[in-house]
Amino acid sequence: MNMHKDDVQHKQAFDEPLWWGLFSAGGVCFAVLLPAVILFIAVLLPLGLLPAEALSYERASSLLFSVPGFLFIGAVVCLPLFHAAHRLRHGLFDISVGSDALNKKLMYGGAALLSVLALGIVVAGFLR
Amino acid sequence: MNTDQITAKRVSADSASTNSINTNNTSTKHISVKRYLPDNSAETFWQEYDLPVDDSTSLLDALNHIKEQLDSTLSYRWSCRMAICGSCGVMVNGIPKLGCKTFLRDYEGDIRIEPLAHFPVQRDLVVDMEIFLEHLAAVKPYLIDDNPVKPYDPQAPETYQQSPEQLARYKQFANCINCGLCYSACPQFGLNPEFLGPAALTLAHRYNLDSRDHGKKQRMAELNRHDGVWSCTFVGFCSKVCPKHVDPAAAVNQGKVEAAKHTLIALFKG
Repeated sequence: MNMHKDDVQHKQAFDEPLWWGLFSAGGVCFAVLLPAVILFIAVLLPLGLLPAEALSYERASSLLFSVPGFLFIGAVVCLPLFHAAHRLRHGLFDISVGSDALNKKLMYGGAALLSVLALGIVVAGFLR
Repeated sequence: MNTDQITAKRVSADSASTNSINTNNTSTKHISVKRYLPDNSAETFWQEYDLPVDDSTSLLDALNHIKEQLDSTLSYRWSCRMAICGSCGVMVNGIPKLGCKTFLRDYEGDIRIEPLAHFPVQRDLVVDMEIFLEHLAAVKPYLIDDNPVKPYDPQAPETYQQSPEQLARYKQFANCINCGLCYSACPQFGLNPEFLGPAALTLAHRYNLDSRDHGKKQRMAELNRHDGVWSCTFVGFCSKVCPKHVDPAAAVNQGKVEAAKHTLIALFKG
């Protein structure tokens, strides 16, 4: 009986709530923020429907390399990265590709690496 | 007792009501049944039946008609005929359904009947539900009260008190009839039979939400495993096929929030 209890305790998934939390937060950011970001940066701006100086180099860098810029990159790049990583990990499991333990390291590791890179660029620009 | 005996017993116990197909106003339907007779062959095969149906013919009526009139070798489970025993689950054109709650009038063209998916087949439409029952037992789906039971005092009888609001918290999740349709619908259970699965996780949640229960701590240890709530990817087909509208997908995902809270508390407590 005790052995069974230890066995159950041993298999507690302490990491899963973290991945699921990042996945959930990323999903909200994906749904709420990204459509607006894509509309402004990838549609309206290239079509010339916004004033030319709306995202001039000076304006863009002062917006990005700041605390709000740091939070913006966290919300539109880092959290959606973890959301995508979670979906890819479970998608790979669904089609029986690789092992879940390795996929987990690759997917979340990749998301963490790209997040550090994105936030690192913001911090570097901030300190310049 | 083997499953043939069970089926035979149930059929004989209620044979008076089985031949309920009204011979007036009938049309003929063609149904294909996936057969597996391990005594004869390890291979499955499709068998075709033409039978008279009317507007009130359920799939269970049709199977009973086949068993009684056309082919007595067909095996399947059934008992109550009114969607409460959860015995007559089968795949109808690839979708898990209760035979008694499925009416042939709703189907155009061929109807393909198979045993419930993701369970080992014992014979014809009879599956082995042992793994489901093990998962169910693992989450302790019953009231757990650590307080010692006092001797009954007729002068001052003590009963559990529960308000309508407290009942409303879990009532929907209490309607499960353990038919197993949600397990056949769940692709994650199909990939990993160790996954506790929709019904077991829902019943765990149902008792965790019950104000009379004190067993949440014991259940969370099961729920917070990789094979607990975390194997669910929120496909949601379990809630679509549930014949009692229990919504297991909602229960499992509320279970994820609870498991996350449980983990946070465990981390702070060390």
